[in-house]
Amino acid sequence: MSDQGFYVGVDAGSSATKCAVIDWHGNLVGCSAVPSGFDYAVASERCLEEALGEAVITWDAVEGSISTGYGREHVKFAGRYLTEITCHARGARQWNPDIRTIVDIGGQDTKVIRINDHGQLVDYRMNAKCAAGTGTFLESIALKLGMSLTALDSLAMESTAKTTINSYCTVFASTEVLERIKAGDPAPDIAMGLFRSIASRTFEMMTSPGQGRVAGTGGVVAYCRSMVRALGELLQDEVIIPPAPQFAGAYGAALEAKERGCGIRAREGAESC
Amino acid sequence: MPTMKRVEIKAHQHLKEMLRLYFDDLEAASHDAGRRVAWCTSVGPCEILAAFGFAVFFPENHGAMLGAKKMAAELIPYAVGAGYSAETCSYMNCDIGSALTGRSPLTDVYGMAGPPTPDLLVYNTNQCREVQDWFGWFSRKHDAPSLGIMPPRCLGAVTKDHIAFVKHELELLIQKIESQFGVTMDHSKLEESVALSSRASTLWREVLDTAQHQPAAISFWDGLIQMSPVILMRGSQTAIDYYELLLAEMQQRVADGVGAVPGERWRLYWDGMPVWPRIRDLSEKFQELRTVIAASTYCNSWAFEPYEGGDPLEWMARTSLEIFINRDEEYKQQFLTEMIQQFSIDGAIFHNARTCPNNTNSRFGMVERLRQSLDIPVLVIDGDLSDARFFSTAQTMTNVEAFIEQLEERRR
Ligand code: SF4
Repeated sequence: MSDQGFYVGVDAGSSATKCAVIDWHGNLVGCSAVPSGFDYAVASERCLEEALGEAVITWDAVEGSISTGYGREHVKFAGRYLTEITCHARGARQWNPDIRTIVDIGGQDTKVIRINDHGQLVDYRMNAKCAAGTGTFLESIALKLGMSLTALDSLAMESTAKTTINSYCTVFASTEVLERIKAGDPAPDIAMGLFRSIASRTFEMMTSPGQGRVAGTGGVVAYCRSMVRALGELLQDEVIIPPAPQFAGAYGAALEAKERGCGIRAREGAESC
Repeated sequence: MPTMKRVEIKAHQHLKEMLRLYFDDLEAASHDAGRRVAWCTSVGPCEILAAFGFAVFFPENHGAMLGAKKMAAELIPYAVGAGYSAETCSYMNCDIGSALTGRSPLTDVYGMAGPPTPDLLVYNTNQCREVQDWFGWFSRKHDAPSLGIMPPRCLGAVTKDHIAFVKHELELLIQKIESQFGVTMDHSKLEESVALSSRASTLWREVLDTAQHQPAAISFWDGLIQMSPVILMRGSQTAIDYYELLLAEMQQRVADGVGAVPGERWRLYWDGMPVWPRIRDLSEKFQELRTVIAASTYCNSWAFEPYEGGDPLEWMARTSLEIFINRDEEYKQQFLTEMIQQFSIDGAIFHNARTCPNNTNSRFGMVERLRQSLDIPVLVIDGDLSDARFFSTAQTMTNVEAFIEQLEERRR
């Protein structure tokens, strides 16, 4: 670990690839997100260029890099890869030492990660493989209602009722939404009910709710205030949202790269550290 | 990450030949008017069937083959079409689908027409009720009697009354077979068969115990293949001869410091069924992570108490009741705790098999209790024994990698 170098973390997610650049103090100095598309190697290169540009540094100044996320093995310049779970846990420890649980709601999956007083990973859970409880659930229903996810979020924020959509299954939830519409329920309440459905699914995955603070990360948390609201209602506590929630994995990866001193691979070719 | 080459088990060549002979004999029996074929559940009273002279076929083994050959997705829809829920035993559903389509790996691998037609089906509900329904379908199809024993389930202590009850069920079973087929069971043959079963099971336990050594001489993945004689050929001298050979090889590995996983760094326990269609992916992943699954409920709970003479039916009744799957949560927790300690386990993985609640132990708080009492990380993975549609490879691999990262962090 040098006292001058920069470190890069790349989160090659199923829909977006995110890159975070930190300095030797651990400060986030550049970040970027690009669609992952069909090729993680290409997306990660593009994302890296943009993040380095924002940090106003060149690749030569980078001392270490770690990749994470679904496409982690395809990020050629990273010195090694780690899972999102370890990286999220690391990022959370940095933001706020009171955090004990991280809830990451992404497009494809939802993770609940628990850390102990020393910031060590205690356990983690991922949703069983299906859209229920993930961003895809919301996107799919928003699409059926002919609106964007952002519009669904804004609508939900107007709700004042305690409506909940009970079905976990995306198809059943769509039917339930139609029934509520037919019954004349106000649109904002139905919209908020959808966010509560995800929150309750997420809550089930927590082994010890009520122990320590909960942080929310991932795209759905970053872009939907209603998601944060629904989680807060269930937890009866304010959910901590880090400065750039969608970059939480990439940021954690950069911090791990700094601590592990694992180096980088050549930008061309693949020399492992 | 570099993948180091796995050391092959030399005895395995013999096992292949033994299996070929076993299936050849079944095929011959099914075409021989003078012989009878019985189907039996894996922990069913096969010693009685052997004493009667039946050639015994184990449909669960066929279910596992169908799963391992990745045939579930093409076969299960036929069973569902016949009214069997896709959420129940995928062994059963695959087997029914196989019968409805005539597709079976037994044809490609052993040149058989398919599973041998049963003259009799015998189940034991000590493992689950599904076996009764499974055999019921084939009983109707082949117009063959389906008989069974139904021991009391989910036991803590196994009492004399429990044993007496099951022994009586076994006696009734013998009577029914005798009157159905007009034959008489030779009791000395039953004694012989039980003694052989018990010896094979003891040797199997000794083989598995070589994994207590570090590095572990045998892994769960090897065990899945190596356990076939103790299921298919127990009650025969063949199984005993094979395990003597295998044990000698494993003991040599221990003496030479050879492990099933080269460069062993982590030792895990596996609870629940294997994910048959993903065995290769998973074993390679663990090897890459230099992690050995040193013990498992699936392989290790197969070892029965030795038979030391006396009433063979009483031994059968007792083993039927005492097996892990038939016990209560307290017993299971104690068993798992002892295994984890004896095999110096760093962490445990529980497979939550969608269609087999009976072989899944993560549904009633066991995971949290073990985490707390043993202070080891425990991971639950969602999947299924045969139906890969309930399994996400990418998600599971991330879970497994994160689990190893968690172990590393604890050691750091
Ligand atoms: S124990 Fe599970 S896998 Fe075995 S037959 Fe019963 S339900 Fe099927």
